[in-house]
Amino acid sequence: MNKLFAVIKKEYKTIVKKKSFIIMTILTPVLMAGMMVVPVLLMKVDRSDKKIAVADYAGGYIQALSAGPAKKGAKPKGKLDMDAMNEMPELPGRISFHPVQLGGRDAAGLLREYEQKVLKKEIDGLLLIPADVKSRRQVSYYSTSISDFTTLNFIESTLRTAISRQLLLERQIDPAVVDEATREISMETFKVKKEGTTKSDSGMDYMMSLFMIIILFMILINYGQIIMRGVLEEKTSRISELLISSARATHIFYGKLLGIGLAGLTQVALWILLAVILVSRFSGMVDAAILSFLTPEIAFYFVIFFILGFFIYAIPYAFIGAAVNTDQEAQQFASVLSVLIIVPYILGISALQNPNSTLTLVASLFPLFTPILMFMRITTAVPPLWQILASIGLCVLTIWGLAWLGAKIFRVGMLMYGKKPSLGEMLRWVRYK
Amino acid sequence: MSEWALSLHDLVKDFDGKRAVDHISFTVKRGEILGLLGPNGAGKTTTIRMVMDIIAPDAGRVEILGEGLSEKVKDRIGFLPEERGLYRKLKVMDTLLFFGELKGMKAAAARERGRRLLEQFQLAGYEEKKVEELSKGMAQKLQFITTILHDPELLILDEPFSGLDPLNIELIQGIILERRRKGTTIIYSTHLMEYAEKTVDSLVMIDQGRKVLDGTLAAVKAEYGRKFIRLQYEGDARFVAGLPYVRSSRDSGREMEIELEDLSKREQLLRDLLGRVTVNGFQLSEPSLQNIFIRKVREGAGA
Ligand SMILES: Nc1ncnc2c1ncn2[C@@H]1O[C@H](COP(=O)(O)OP(=O)(O)O)[C@@H](O)[C@H]1O
Ligand SMILES: [Mg+2]
Repeated sequence: MNKLFAVIKKEYKTIVKKKSFIIMTILTPVLMAGMMVVPVLLMKVDRSDKKIAVADYAGGYIQALSAGPAKKGAKPKGKLDMDAMNEMPELPGRISFHPVQLGGRDAAGLLREYEQKVLKKEIDGLLLIPADVKSRRQVSYYSTSISDFTTLNFIESTLRTAISRQLLLERQIDPAVVDEATREISMETFKVKKEGTTKSDSGMDYMMSLFMIIILFMILINYGQIIMRGVLEEKTSRISELLISSARATHIFYGKLLGIGLAGLTQVALWILLAVILVSRFSGMVDAAILSFLTPEIAFYFVIFFILGFFIYAIPYAFIGAAVNTDQEAQQFASVLSVLIIVPYILGISALQNPNSTLTLVASLFPLFTPILMFMRITTAVPPLWQILASIGLCVLTIWGLAWLGAKIFRVGMLMYGKKPSLGEMLRWVRYK
Repeated sequence: MSEWALSLHDLVKDFDGKRAVDHISFTVKRGEILGLLGPNGAGKTTTIRMVMDIIAPDAGRVEILGEGLSEKVKDRIGFLPEERGLYRKLKVMDTLLFFGELKGMKAAAARERGRRLLEQFQLAGYEEKKVEELSKGMAQKLQFITTILHDPELLILDEPFSGLDPLNIELIQGIILERRRKGTTIIYSTHLMEYAEKTVDSLVMIDQGRKVLDGTLAAVKAEYGRKFIRLQYEGDARFVAGLPYVRSSRDSGREMEIELEDLSKREQLLRDLLGRVTVNGFQLSEPSLQNIFIRKVREGAGA
């Protein structure tokens, strides 16, 4: 047992001390944070400042427009700056309204002058508020782009509120009641699941799911390759002879798997820790949908499926390292194996759209696909618990079988030099004591 | 406790139908140095790999330190494989710690003994260097240190001198002798027989997988040794080969190695030589192990 620990310790230390490990550990959450913040920033940049000229024949509406719509009701909970972010989509970028000096001109004359200004991009648009707006409820907007619904909605709802207020106030209604009556309404979207309904934003969900699976996919391949190269190094440098003549092959093999697996787990744990720190430090800049996506439950399943995926893929990678003789051969076999890892990933992309189809269900119970597919399903539409448990159970059984087989192939393959083993030979290795 | 540190019984190993080791048996006494000698490809490494349970023999069995090669027994053996290899990215001290622990040592003990050995091998100060930063000779020395770090009772060294410069060969030979004085049993293989001559107590010679000779160095030399005469001469000495008491001769033009049927015939030979050739030198000689080996192989081929 002490020898097993000696191997675990050495493998673990070797990886954790590597520069690439430290860089990846720090860089990935930073990239992740970037991925979360960039869309929000993009939205900001996209809503460039707008200059709108307002020809206010009715009078008094320009002030209402500059003030914006009435405040929404106070949200039940949540941090203050998070609220500010939540209102972002409702707020039109920075729109500045500029009163037009009417000087007795009529609407048609004004229009001729301002059409030129719009075309020359001196202003983004002209808003005509006729004198009888209160009764006719009709305004006109002239612009080169009239598909900017955020801006249009903003103008519409602001004017509607302003007119309502005016009408009510004219009738001597208590201003407090007027405020109450004209308050804005906001709408949140919710996803209905068997396990319970959660607030969510479908677009962001999809992105986050895809993103976490890419990370899972990357680390599984990364750690698989680390094992493969490690085994191959021991084989080509003949350290294997020293190892086998000092300790049991099973101890060396399992020690290696566990040591490298622990290093991977350390990295995942550090990521989660860093993510928690980043999100809580900069929660103001993170989209609410992301915050609601990154639950402890997701983190828990990420760790579980990383562990399962690690063993399911690492053992075949170790086979390759033990069976081949050169880096080139190893890479050839490894690329075949990465295709096997890509399959659930591709299946998963369709699964994201249709997470409850039969194909997705069956594929996600297939142990080689489970780590990626089942995790993907969990991130999109939580499957029934029995399916999750069944998939984990099948994975554990598979790992058990692979580990048994792996130790044997490792024992013989590590000491087989020179020629490429045939499939028949590999089968014979399994029977070797 | 049996008298034998190691005994091999009828070991056989085939590679793709070719016999690499052909019914080899021998025993190694506790506390002695045994040389496993033979040219390249004779089967030395294959034999040692079977002893270390790195490959399984097709037939035969090995008894080591009184039992089979269990986990416990592995801790009492130091093994230097023919093809050296250490983790290139691992630091020197970490390398010693790892292999020490793999041999059942406590980390503190491995560190302590590792320090002392590094000093003895002039590697002090390299503890924190990576193995890949060492010169080839240094890495060889480090490998040797990992072999003896846990103070094994039995040392099995496959070609311990290959790739070393004369100074380091001397160093390793010194260590081997020092360990023998402390009671360690040592087996080493080499194709360089002149090194074996200086250190071994007994030897096993193998050729093409077969054992051709074994015994203590003294016995082997006694058997072959005293029947040789080394003659330096001028003139035509071809007649020597025809003399009835001469068993064999090897003429190199100015020097001849003559094997007599019986050592008592040496005065007769000298008398026969005088007057027919100019004798510049005439000594009893011990043939080198190399010579013995060549003779043995020839005999085998002739028989
Ligand atoms: N793994 C192997 N596969 C095939 N042939 C081998 C293998 N190892 C050794 N041999 C063959 O066995 C014979 C003995 O080799 P070896 O034991 O390495 O000799 P030595 O160590 O005395 O130089 C050689 O002919 C060699 O080619
Ligand atoms: Mg050899």
